[in-house]
Amino acid sequence: MTLDEVRARMKAAGIEIAENRLEMVRRLLSDALAPIHAVDSRAARTLEPAVMFDAIRSAEPRRDDDDE
Amino acid sequence: MTSDDLAYATIADITNHYRRRALSPVELTRALLDRIERLDPTLHAFVTVTAERALADAKRAEAALGHGQDASPLLGIPVAYKDIYATRGIRTTAGSALLADWVPEDDATCVTRLREAGSVMLGKLITHEFAFGIQFPGHRFQPAKNPWNLDHMPGGSSSGSAVALATGLVGGALGSDTGGSIRGPAAFCNIVGLKPTYGRVSRAGVITLSWTLDHTGPMARTVEDCALLLQGLAGHDPADPASSREPVADYAAPLRQGIRGLRVGVPRAYFLEGVDAEVEKAFEQALATLRELGAAVTDVEIPSIQTSWAFLAILMAEAFAYHERDVRAHPELYGDVLRERVLAGGLILGSEYVQAQRLRSRLHAEMLEVLGRVDVLATPTTPKPAPTFAAVWDPSFGFPKSNMPPFNMTGVPALAVPCGVSSEGLPLSLQIAGRPFDEATVLRVGHAYERATEWHRRRPRI
Repeated sequence: MTLDEVRARMKAAGIEIAENRLEMVRRLLSDALAPIHAVDSRAARTLEPAVMFDAIRSAEPRRDDDDE
Repeated sequence: MTSDDLAYATIADITNHYRRRALSPVELTRALLDRIERLDPTLHAFVTVTAERALADAKRAEAALGHGQDASPLLGIPVAYKDIYATRGIRTTAGSALLADWVPEDDATCVTRLREAGSVMLGKLITHEFAFGIQFPGHRFQPAKNPWNLDHMPGGSSSGSAVALATGLVGGALGSDTGGSIRGPAAFCNIVGLKPTYGRVSRAGVITLSWTLDHTGPMARTVEDCALLLQGLAGHDPADPASSREPVADYAAPLRQGIRGLRVGVPRAYFLEGVDAEVEKAFEQALATLRELGAAVTDVEIPSIQTSWAFLAILMAEAFAYHERDVRAHPELYGDVLRERVLAGGLILGSEYVQAQRLRSRLHAEMLEVLGRVDVLATPTTPKPAPTFAAVWDPSFGFPKSNMPPFNMTGVPALAVPCGVSSEGLPLSLQIAGRPFDEATVLRVGHAYERATEWHRRRPRI
């Protein structure tokens, strides 16, 4: 990711970051996104996102007393 | 018993002393409050010392002991909380100027559980700002100092918890762990820290960093003490949507079963890349000790382990979601670097967050498959010993690669146990991870290793 790409994302998101911190942000985003940008979505087509994370992958039925 | 022996007594020892009437909760509490007053101006472990509350709790525990009500192993045990656990009537700052004067109306579930178990609350412990940002010079809250070398970081974000334990200021402490914030400080300060399984310990009333990565858990001076604290904390909590109904095991009883025949997997790829030579040497010696204790140690492979760092995208995106309103409205109330780390989360695309969660699914499935063939995984907790403050205050320091986030990504339990000392005198640590909700086996391995070694007995010169 380049500094110009960081600036473009900032503009789109309406976010301001001090110029002297941009390099730090660029490196942070580059590290975070490297494995993501390497994903071949077609090769991993059956992979579902773990947005509702469950450590044992066995969704427990919600019970009526959960909100008590 | 010397004052140092009293300060460094384990939870199990304190309970024995109480039952033999060789020590009283009020006596111990007064001794620790004096020690905090003497040492904490140098260490900065505490944000708030709750002396009146501690003495009231201690008197209540003393009365219970007098009536023969000594069933709880946490009765009269002096504890303190990372300052992101809400405490009723006691300010809870999250190490942040934004919440510097916030006084919650309710206790976090963990605080309630330890109170009901009869513990004594000594106070609130410093955390990195919102468990994410390092305190730079000039920050409203001073950072805790590493007692092994005051120029070095104690790790974060549960820094005060680790420092207070390493210096004998508390008997037990709670931390939180989104990417290693229990295990990292434990490793850097030569104590024990457990990140339980996702859903095992309630997060209700604990300030969020990242909903799907946050874990709460115990920190202590021994594995057995961690087990005793976990026993008091674990169990379903309807106030935490991620809380599990999985039955709670007995964590203390299996500790003495030994580890003969247990299978220990060593995932060398990723976890041993870029580690210091003396960290690697200490780790190999720890594996040799596990073999001597009867465990079968074999190398294992987690095929997509190199994608673990997608963790950072999830953390940043969720942290921005939590903080967006405040950081846009009051950026001046966020510390340097934390502000930019939070804002950077707003630059991650929705599609990138979803891809990160897909990578997480694959990593999770692979780790469970490996944990079907071995009982636990062993790795160094951190690739290097504690860095200096000067190093982390350099704006180019970044967010260093770590051995701990893969277990936040997969939600499995992971324990940090002291396993050596660097040439500079800084602690080194062994990480043991296990199957979901099998904290009992993870603790059993840690306890067997701890009993076979002396690393956890080392104390810093303060």
